[in-house]
Amino acid sequence: MDGNEVILIIDDELQIRRLLEITLSEKGYKIVMSLNGKEGITDAATHHPALVILDLGLPDMDGQEVLTKLREWYYKPIIVLSVRNSEEEIIKALDNGANDYLTKPFRTGELLARIRAAIRSSDHTGDDAILYFGSLSIDMASHVVRKNNEFIKLTSTEFSLLALLAKNSGRVLTHQYILKEVWGYGYIEQTQYLRVFIAQLRRKIEDNPSRPQLLVTESGIGYRFSE
Amino acid sequence: MKRINDRYAKWCKLTDTKKIRSYFLSVLIIGLTAILCSPLANTQSYHVVSYILLFVVSIISTFLGIGPVLLASTLSAVLWNYYFIPPHFTFHIEKTEDLLIFGLFFIIALVNGILTTRVIRQEKVAREREKRTNALFQLTKELSRASGTDEVLKVAANEMVDHFPGVPAFFLQDGNNKLVRLWTRDESLSISGSFNTAMWVFANLQPAGAHTKNSFSDPLTYYPLLGTRLNPGVVAIHNSLPVPEEQQSYWDTFLAQISNALEREFLGEMAQKVRFLDESDRLYKTLFNSISHELRIPVATIMGASDSILNSSPSPRFQSELCHEIFTASLRLNRLIENLLNISRLESGHISVRLDWCDINDLINKVLEDLEAELQPFSLQVLIPEDMPLIKIDFGLMEQVLYNLLFNSTQYAPAGSAIDLTVAYTGKELKMDITDRGPGLPEKYIERVFSKFFRADGSKTGGLGLGLSIVKGFVEAHNGSVSASNVTPCGAKFTLRIPSEIPSISNV
Repeated sequence: MDGNEVILIIDDELQIRRLLEITLSEKGYKIVMSLNGKEGITDAATHHPALVILDLGLPDMDGQEVLTKLREWYYKPIIVLSVRNSEEEIIKALDNGANDYLTKPFRTGELLARIRAAIRSSDHTGDDAILYFGSLSIDMASHVVRKNNEFIKLTSTEFSLLALLAKNSGRVLTHQYILKEVWGYGYIEQTQYLRVFIAQLRRKIEDNPSRPQLLVTESGIGYRFSE
Repeated sequence: MKRINDRYAKWCKLTDTKKIRSYFLSVLIIGLTAILCSPLANTQSYHVVSYILLFVVSIISTFLGIGPVLLASTLSAVLWNYYFIPPHFTFHIEKTEDLLIFGLFFIIALVNGILTTRVIRQEKVAREREKRTNALFQLTKELSRASGTDEVLKVAANEMVDHFPGVPAFFLQDGNNKLVRLWTRDESLSISGSFNTAMWVFANLQPAGAHTKNSFSDPLTYYPLLGTRLNPGVVAIHNSLPVPEEQQSYWDTFLAQISNALEREFLGEMAQKVRFLDESDRLYKTLFNSISHELRIPVATIMGASDSILNSSPSPRFQSELCHEIFTASLRLNRLIENLLNISRLESGHISVRLDWCDINDLINKVLEDLEAELQPFSLQVLIPEDMPLIKIDFGLMEQVLYNLLFNSTQYAPAGSAIDLTVAYTGKELKMDITDRGPGLPEKYIERVFSKFFRADGSKTGGLGLGLSIVKGFVEAHNGSVSASNVTPCGAKFTLRIPSEIPSISNV
């Protein structure tokens, strides 16, 4: 399903650029390269890429700033690819509007999967009545969830949580974001709710709840609904 | 200051006024005796007076010096002759017998006086010598008990104050024959010696200052502290009088003892410094060797394998094998870098623990996923109680802890063996046991497995010996503890204990 979408890479490291260029163009993507933040913002405006891969350590400005500037008008997915691996930095990038975050060194297979997921979910308008993930189906309108065509009974909170993650499938959602969306602003620190409900959801929808494939934990950051 | 002045008087020779007083005293005693004996001045009993006078002279000689004793004996002879030998009130002696007695009296009084004085003086000298010997013995004992330069200086200063007038100040060298430090027992007593004079003394190894040839118009007297291999420094003391001749050798011995003790401490400290340097040099070499080895091996693999692919057009199967090697080497490099970064985070104290509620199942799944390939050959048994509560930990740090421990087991245990991971929550703490069926830990090193860069002798696996010290550091950052032990029949067991609250039921 890899297409001929344009991908903008904003990175100043020659070797990483080479690697990305080889890997991505082999999969049919068209590549645009920018060596710094300013150039990257201009290129995003002129080339209308389907996705941006952004490094945080740029020579002219901080990647987080580039992210904020891009998000003023750019609505397509942005994947941050950086050596910075502290939880603070990752959460900041996600809060600033990044769809995903990968730390260097990374596996190209993983990157390609994230790119596919991000482009696909951005193609969806998000108004689909029924979402399908393998044997799992989620009916957004009637709140009915089925696995292998069997009805799964969910509480309303469990459904809201699942629906939020599923609508943003492929995207990392931070703990705080999920808590705010599902429980409300006052619950932003109550991560124990999230843990308990995620564990309950996994028992209901995962094939093997101890090796979850759908509700993936992002260490110290949040959760991702994987396809 | 009064106390010190009193001691001056005792310590120094009798002063002139005291001398005059003792002559006066001897005249007075003899005069009084003569007056008291005046009733006996008749012809029958004047001989008795001579005995009384002889007795008094010998008494005088026990507490007065030789001069007053000579005066007393002469005076008593003269008085006896003048007042008691008939004819009275003349120096004329009538009887030949009396003349003889007078002569003998004079000689006996003299000899008696002189002998007694000498005996007394010798006794005094002996007592003084014993006192000095005791003082030196005491000094030696105290000095040998003191450890560390400061303690030696304190003992030396105390003993000096006890046995000599004046408070000493010590100028010490830095080990490179340069005087750098001034030490005084009591800083409030500000005896600030001059560094210039002290340096001159240190360079010339001769006393200087007050009462010496090189006075430099300094109120203090400076003595070099002489050692056999190095000279520890200079001592300065405030003396209003020079050290008396007969005390000189005592003083010298005293200083020599102090010098020896200081020298001993100096040499000890220097040896310790050298040992420390040796130790850090050794550590540096080990570190350097192992880091360069650990970095070079994967780099060599990557270079070699990619070179083969590029230049020798290998068969597709061989090519994929080479690529696999490159990938493995890069994982190894990455792990090494991760460990080095973590250890430097720990070393620099930049570890901040972000405690958050965590489902322990989630944590373990995450680690097992990351270690999927490494754990493939083992049969892993994970035991988590059904009712395991949520616990408060830093997910990222604990992930690393568990990763390192499990990775460690995969490196030592034989393929196909079992690895057990048991979790429990007891007594307000999370307890995790990781047990493998490997060769276990060498008993004599079991305490040291958590130290940085520690590698057991003949350790077959690669690595820098950082993994377990990171485990310890991260666990301790959680106020927890980690311990290692061996299990029977074989295998190593690591136990983690991390204090954690659990959410109250109403919270969820």
